[in-house]
Amino acid sequence: MHALTLPEAHHYDEMLLASGGIRPHYRDFAHWLHSQSPQTLARKRAEADLMFHRVGITFAVYGDDSGAERLIPFDTVPRIIPASDWQTLEAGMRQRVTALNAFLHDIYHEQHIVKAGIIPAEQVFSNSQYQPAMQGLDLPHRIYAHITGVDVIRHNDGNFYVLEDNLRVPSGVSYMLENRKMMMRLFPELFASHAVAPVQHYPTLLLNTLRHASLAENPTVVVLTPGHHNSAYFEHAFLAQQMGVELVEGQDLFVKHNRVYMRTTAGHKQVDVIYRRIDDAFLDPLAFRADSMLGVPGLLSVYRSGGVILANAIGTGVADDKSIYPYVPDMIRFYLSEEPLLQNVPTWMCRRPAELDHVLNNLAELVVKEVHGAGGYGMLIGPAASAAEIDDFRQRIIADPANYIAQPTLCLSSCPTFVEAGIAPRHIDLRPFVLSGREISMVAGGLTRVALKEGSLVVNSSQGGGTKDTWILED
Amino acid sequence: MQLTIAHETVYRYDATVSHSTQYLRLTPPQNRHQRIISWQLELPVAASESTDAYGNILHVLTLDTPHSEIRLRAHGVVETCDDCEDGAEALPAAVFLRGSALTEPDDAIRALAAGHADAIAANPESGLTALMLAVADAMPYTSGATQAETSAAQALALGAGVCQDHSHVFIAACRSLGLPARYVSGYLLTDRDAHVASHAWAEVYAAGRWLGFDISNRQQPDRHHLKLAVGLDYTDASPVRGVRRGGGSEALQAHARVTEADQQ
Repeated sequence: MHALTLPEAHHYDEMLLASGGIRPHYRDFAHWLHSQSPQTLARKRAEADLMFHRVGITFAVYGDDSGAERLIPFDTVPRIIPASDWQTLEAGMRQRVTALNAFLHDIYHEQHIVKAGIIPAEQVFSNSQYQPAMQGLDLPHRIYAHITGVDVIRHNDGNFYVLEDNLRVPSGVSYMLENRKMMMRLFPELFASHAVAPVQHYPTLLLNTLRHASLAENPTVVVLTPGHHNSAYFEHAFLAQQMGVELVEGQDLFVKHNRVYMRTTAGHKQVDVIYRRIDDAFLDPLAFRADSMLGVPGLLSVYRSGGVILANAIGTGVADDKSIYPYVPDMIRFYLSEEPLLQNVPTWMCRRPAELDHVLNNLAELVVKEVHGAGGYGMLIGPAASAAEIDDFRQRIIADPANYIAQPTLCLSSCPTFVEAGIAPRHIDLRPFVLSGREISMVAGGLTRVALKEGSLVVNSSQGGGTKDTWILED
Repeated sequence: MQLTIAHETVYRYDATVSHSTQYLRLTPPQNRHQRIISWQLELPVAASESTDAYGNILHVLTLDTPHSEIRLRAHGVVETCDDCEDGAEALPAAVFLRGSALTEPDDAIRALAAGHADAIAANPESGLTALMLAVADAMPYTSGATQAETSAAQALALGAGVCQDHSHVFIAACRSLGLPARYVSGYLLTDRDAHVASHAWAEVYAAGRWLGFDISNRQQPDRHHLKLAVGLDYTDASPVRGVRRGGGSEALQAHARVTEADQQ
């Protein structure tokens, strides 16, 4: 019998009520958990570690220059989401990604949303993620983000909130697939007693999405990786292998007569769709950063003349930028004439006088961020800041209000997780993957990341985060 | 006025190059300022033509057989007038507010610009002309003082430069004042022999239109100027940009001859 540490009263736990009761969708699992001996569970966890080690180096993280390799810890308590919650999430994410693709098409064409006064022109056009090369370019089916990872959290009010959209090269889907494989191997009996929605067909859906992105009859798809030094190289190789397509590096491709070719042992073969896991800035040294040879010289010219499809498109970053995020609910209303099904984290834009007042009056409770800041730089976490720090920040905001946004301090939900002393609540988030092809398709699931340090809200793998299998229960 | 241009660029390599790809912006666009009477490119093999992000005419040249020399010749006749506005624009002017690696302003550039802010606000054309003269004074034309990779801030600190550096500093200064500004590469008819290859100047979007400033020559461009390409900086608008495999070190020879066509 494992002792379950209860969550704190004001927290939302996915399994446990503060009273000690179990939420209905976790009852069967909790019952099973109580029937397992600690020794059996410890043995299974060791087995999982061993098997992940054997898959190998694959789950390595290259966090620093030392090239140290680590396994991303895997926790064997699944994150279970009831069907009704998933329906809300799925509908909300479909809506959101539809609006984001419409936004990208619009700003790279007529800019109706700018002309309507909803988003200020300079926030789009002088944004470094806006790519002039995309202006006026017509993409098949008007799809820019073929693959989107939407990061959502459940707050202590029980509601889901979108933390950010990832429209550039979202990663992590290989963990979703491998975690499921591992759980089915370790605990097959749980899958007999739970109707867990499958995720293993994700590579098939991804390949369909990529093929649909091209107008070619029988398109050749490749995965373009920056190479084995990249921390997500395992995922690139894994997805290429799962889809049965070539994994290539920039030097394997070349451009001629407005087409892209891959060098193969059997000669040259034309490539129609490139699932690129390389950032915009590295795609073409003749058009973007000249100091990198990760990409393909001439690729942009072929792309612009329609000779090849890139997934995702170039310039999608303008839609997931911190300064554009607050406008996503407005995008949904503007392009779809619908109310958002999923909430944004409320964001006050200090550029607006009324919102500035609110921010200045509530600095002690808010998180304040620089619009273009990153990595925690130029950020105030009100509840953790001293009076002097708050006062200093107040002056900075007043001096340049347009440079700041503010959000409430969120409390991520927790999920029971194996720790040294048994099982205790740890904070989690969720990244489902949305595929935009002939239609929007999703597997019911995603990557659940867990902050393994007690009380920590940082789920990033580089900062001691782990992962869990995510179960969507079917009705 | 009719201009005749003959522009030759030759790259010679120490060793054999197995594969090279070039982006060529060697074909002038036709617009209100300039009418193309004839234009030809002579290239080692046929190139693919398209337009780039900024609406420039782009040729992509791929050489995939071993070579130790690339010879590019552009020549033609163009009729120009003093009106230097293009007419149709590929991009919103606000795009040219963005910084770029070569035009990132430093404190010195910001200070130089700030001294002219009020004058520009009062009268953009005369204010910007004064800024142009200030940039030209601050860094006398000195060939060989800088390289293609020299940034605006580095060139201003050096106090010397060529047309590329003048344009970069002027562009960085304008953007720091919130004015969209862009780099122009092209040709200039001159009786001096100072510009033996291609030339560069800048354009600023002020009071609803693009105004040209040839900083090196301390004048607004006119019928003596022929535009090839525009961009955020030299990297976007350079007439030739290439990547190769192998070849060792290279020697570049470029020469542009601009003459007034005979009046028949």
